[in-house]
Amino acid sequence: MSLPQMTTTRRNLLKFAGGGAAGALLTPAPWRLITDTALWSENWPGIPRPARGEIRARFTHCTLCPAGCAVRARCVNGQPVSLAGVKPHPISHGALCPWGIAGHHLPYHPARVRQGPVKEALAAVSRAISQRGAGERIAVLDLRPGRTVSWTYRRAMAAIDDGIYLAPRQPAYSIDLTEAQTVVSFGAPLSDGWGTPGNVFAARANFRLVQIEPVETRTAALADVWLPIRPGTETAMAAALAGETTIAEAARVTGVKEEAIGAVKEAIASGPAVVLAEDPASPLMNWNARLHALGRTVVARREAPIPEAWKKAAPVNEMAAAPDRAIRLLLIDESLPGGYVPWQDIQPKLAADAVVVVFSSSSEGYARHAQYVLPAPVYPEAAEDIGPAIDTVAAVFRIAAPLIAAVVPVVNPGGLVARIAGLPQTDPLRERADAIHKTGRGMLLSYADGKSTPMKEVTADDFWKTLNQGGCWMDSTGKKAAPHGLGRSVTSPTPHDDLPLMVVAAEVRRGGLESPLMSKLERESNLRMTANRVVISPADARSNGIESGGRCVLETACGRLSVVATVDAGVPAGVVEVAGGPRMADLCGASQRARVVRA
Amino acid sequence: MVFVDKEFITRGLRRSSTGRFLLWILPWVALLGFGLYCAGLCLVKGLNQTNMDNRFVFGLWIFLDLTVIALGAGAFFTGFLLYILKVEELRSVINSAVVIGLVCYSGAMAALAVDVGQPLRSWFTFWYPNVHSMLTEVTFCISCYLTVLLIEYLPIVLRNRKLHEVPSFLVFEYELHKVTYVLAGVGTFLSFFHQGSLGGLYGVLRGRPFAFREGLAVWPSTFFLFILSAAAVGPSFILLTTWLVEKLSRKRLVRPDVFRRLASISGLLLAVYVLAKAVDTLIWINRTSPGTGFQAWQYYSWKPFGTWILIAEIVVFGLLPALVMLTPRLRAHTGWLVTAAAMACCGVALNRFVMTVQTLALPTLSFDSFLSYFPSWQEIGTFLAVVAYGVLVYSFSFRYFNLFPEERELRLEAAAQEEAEPALAGRY
Amino acid sequence: MTAQNRVARYGMSIDIDKCNGCGACMMACAVENNIPPAPEAANDRRGVTWIRVYKVDNHLAYPERRTAFVPVLCQQCGHDTPCVHVCPQQAVDVDPQTGIVGQMPERCLGCRYCMVACPYHARYFNWWDPKWPAGMEKTLNPDVAPRMRGVVEKCNFCHGRWHAAQQKAAAAGQREIDAADYVPACVEACPTGALRFGDLADSSTEVAQDAARPESFRLLEKIGTEPKIHYRSRRDWVREIASAPRPEGKDGLRG
Repeated sequence: MSLPQMTTTRRNLLKFAGGGAAGALLTPAPWRLITDTALWSENWPGIPRPARGEIRARFTHCTLCPAGCAVRARCVNGQPVSLAGVKPHPISHGALCPWGIAGHHLPYHPARVRQGPVKEALAAVSRAISQRGAGERIAVLDLRPGRTVSWTYRRAMAAIDDGIYLAPRQPAYSIDLTEAQTVVSFGAPLSDGWGTPGNVFAARANFRLVQIEPVETRTAALADVWLPIRPGTETAMAAALAGETTIAEAARVTGVKEEAIGAVKEAIASGPAVVLAEDPASPLMNWNARLHALGRTVVARREAPIPEAWKKAAPVNEMAAAPDRAIRLLLIDESLPGGYVPWQDIQPKLAADAVVVVFSSSSEGYARHAQYVLPAPVYPEAAEDIGPAIDTVAAVFRIAAPLIAAVVPVVNPGGLVARIAGLPQTDPLRERADAIHKTGRGMLLSYADGKSTPMKEVTADDFWKTLNQGGCWMDSTGKKAAPHGLGRSVTSPTPHDDLPLMVVAAEVRRGGLESPLMSKLERESNLRMTANRVVISPADARSNGIESGGRCVLETACGRLSVVATVDAGVPAGVVEVAGGPRMADLCGASQRARVVRA
Repeated sequence: MVFVDKEFITRGLRRSSTGRFLLWILPWVALLGFGLYCAGLCLVKGLNQTNMDNRFVFGLWIFLDLTVIALGAGAFFTGFLLYILKVEELRSVINSAVVIGLVCYSGAMAALAVDVGQPLRSWFTFWYPNVHSMLTEVTFCISCYLTVLLIEYLPIVLRNRKLHEVPSFLVFEYELHKVTYVLAGVGTFLSFFHQGSLGGLYGVLRGRPFAFREGLAVWPSTFFLFILSAAAVGPSFILLTTWLVEKLSRKRLVRPDVFRRLASISGLLLAVYVLAKAVDTLIWINRTSPGTGFQAWQYYSWKPFGTWILIAEIVVFGLLPALVMLTPRLRAHTGWLVTAAAMACCGVALNRFVMTVQTLALPTLSFDSFLSYFPSWQEIGTFLAVVAYGVLVYSFSFRYFNLFPEERELRLEAAAQEEAEPALAGRY
Repeated sequence: MTAQNRVARYGMSIDIDKCNGCGACMMACAVENNIPPAPEAANDRRGVTWIRVYKVDNHLAYPERRTAFVPVLCQQCGHDTPCVHVCPQQAVDVDPQTGIVGQMPERCLGCRYCMVACPYHARYFNWWDPKWPAGMEKTLNPDVAPRMRGVVEKCNFCHGRWHAAQQKAAAAGQREIDAADYVPACVEACPTGALRFGDLADSSTEVAQDAARPESFRLLEKIGTEPKIHYRSRRDWVREIASAPRPEGKDGLRG
């Protein structure tokens, strides 16, 4: 028996397909596929996916400025992804500045110095040392003095014949803001880059801030009183406040109203006061003696104890103290952003065929002048310690423990200099920690649990472990001593007729790398000035034919720089506002006078 | 080639030779190519190719899209007048109006596809619609209306001499013809809503006191004003384009009566619009704006947007052309008509500009600054592509389809007249 | 599974007299939310800064010029939220549990209508694809997805941190989250204490008390959006300038 044949016609196929499609629409499948395309259209190739992994908190200290704020890093598989302060910390109170918040980006900065001629540099160094002539010196310029590695440099320079240790002058005093009722600041940027931000803001409610400076900086905007003085007349103002001259005389010279000066004078007299200056070594600091601030709000600076053997180190010298044309080899440690000595102050000290080696991660500083640029570790790659900040009263010792290994091949400046000088290869940080432990003084604060333990109850090994895992040693304050030496005298710059504008740094810039995210503050908003921006008054703009946003040239006695000008009626005539930094320091030098012309 | 081309041209109509036609479309094709390159740049590299920014999030494209949609309103309004209100004179321009509408709407949609940041997600509005948003309404209605326009365009295409020879096309076109009234009604309904919603886009902006208006229930006054202005300017634009096509093709396409009819309709609606707009502006100045904390004079203190722009929009480019088009003596002259129509179109463009660009330029926060914007060449190029596309589609339609039913009749009349009185032949 | 029963109305109080314009909040926000650094061609009109500190002044010339800093972020409008109403794809919604206005970048079409609607300029469009310098993508926060170009984004009060606090509370068997566990990145980073965050519906919080102070105000109050960011300043000129359109006669920019 044969089965009936069924022929499949095209019509059958079409019916089947149509019915199948209609049926499929009744299932979730096509609808899910449609909504899933939303996800596909979101994750295109080229959009990075954040790595996942174990999340842990690690502690360290920020080395981007002498404040050394305590840092809690959120790490994913050991990689820091965000930084925050340590809230219960008695000095930094959990505060971080914008540079510190994004410090973990620095190792990956696209402009980072990634390689350098290490072999050639070392060869040149050996040659310079062995072939130096009579009277020629080997020098280390330490831009962040006060660290443990600074002692290494000083010991190295003591070990080498004709070694000389150079550093920008460090104040021999500390400021105790908690004791002050009135703070008279001659341009010291208290609210924007002075001392330890957390410490300043914690004490802020307890003192009256009188900001005396020609332009309204961030600090002046938040001060209780801002005295807009004529540029260069600070000494006259200080003299009146101290009673040496009359208020009327000061009002005439500075341009500030008599009532305002009188009110400040009364405030100073009514309670403990302190005078601060933009330059910590300014002679204005000497007025503190008149205010009876010494030993009270201005105290001797204290450092953590050091091993006895280190005391035979070379003395600290300023660049000016170095003999002219005598330096045969100059090693510059620019690995941490810090003070900058203008190149025109360094140049005269160099011998004819001097070798200059700089350890740096940035090409903006001395890399522009040095022969050899060797890549240095950048925060948070290096183990460092941070010296006391200007507002740290008690001696402290805190280690910035590295959070990641260096991502490029780097040269450790301290280790290299120690090797050159033939010093024993030990860990100076450990040595110092042991020396501190031996004294038995002070307290150990550990960040992970927030506990404070007297040093007597801590073993040396535990001490070292806690320091590296997030902790700091704080000495008991004890009796506060009056400092030896405050400000030094400076020659006032000769006014130039053809350089009519006074250069004022409206923002602090420490030099060195900044996180690429700083574009949020500089380019994606108008909050902070970029390095090539200047601000002038409408009167000065008119006399030079400059329009707001126009390209100009900033000319000084030392050079020229291409800039963009903003015209702002809030800036006084005769002043040009700039953002600081190494380039600006080289450009303006000591004279701080300039002119702005149209490009 | 020439032989084949001629066979597609409607019987009884004269069109230029293939060579001359190619010469005409060549520069437009080049412009289209350049414009597509600009659009391609924006799609591939992102919208950073434009000069739009976080303040001017709507720029040249949105402004021109709104203008073009308002001008293309002639399509629905002429359909409404012809098929619903039975204004028979407009039969001679309805096909052209449909093509113009199609070109305007499809071009605007194409520009919008480039304007959004994620064009592949365009269907999200249909999938996750937000019933409170005017833009959802706009998207739905414009998409539906574009479909309606395509369906209305089909008969025009299918009546092509060659295509009409295909039996199924013939039948299909005949069947479509029966539902023209339905299409016109649906088109009117959809257009009413999307023209209104386009106005509603700005009128509901509580955060932009310059644009914010009170109104009726959920519909701000700009909803109704946009409908009115679009209806008013639609006939003007048809007048303008018909006159332009007549000039370029050197042919008579419609009877002069049609121009006058279009003008009188446009003038009447424009006059009503100007009145409504004046009342609305007064309410806004005296009540709505002060209620949000912004005095109206403050908007006009920012250079270059002085009160001149308000006067220009309502009086110079609104009231004046309305009066011209309503005056029979002036209506009799083509020159006056065309000028008035052009001014009316400019007035609507100015209104759309004020609602998009000026709204965004004005500061809202007191520490905002007044910013300015000028489109980049990529933006301008993309829009020129839309213009080129429009010219090309219209050129092809004009050549191969019977856009102007009266053209043949007028040509025969002119030929007869020429035989009878050679000296008086022609209008040109 | 949410632990929280109580409906919160999260908001912020900002002390303009304390804000020194340092920008730590802007940096912390960018770090937390994986916002890329600006490409070369970007400027302040195309940048993405979910929180942006504006420099505001009293429009007088030197030496009467006075400056203040006003951080502006999404105001989390509580009434007739403009962006929620206008989004054609419902890519913006108000979370009923927290009052936070959330943005879904995966749903966003990039039509930018919400940016037209927002009077606070708190919304930002990605004009470019995100690009980090080589290696820096290792520092991205795993809790937040990076967005591609063509979508709008804005502050969401670090909603991811709220979810983390919820999970922590749920794991501990608690019904309410611990207030200390949910702090947005900007508030955590602010070194001066100018930014405070909390539940406005809970009258015992600092934020609620700050909002009730006489010197407290909100931006563009008359528009009626009921923003949840309360600013305060004891300086008259700040309150005058920050809460209304520019006062008459004090603006040299006008024609």
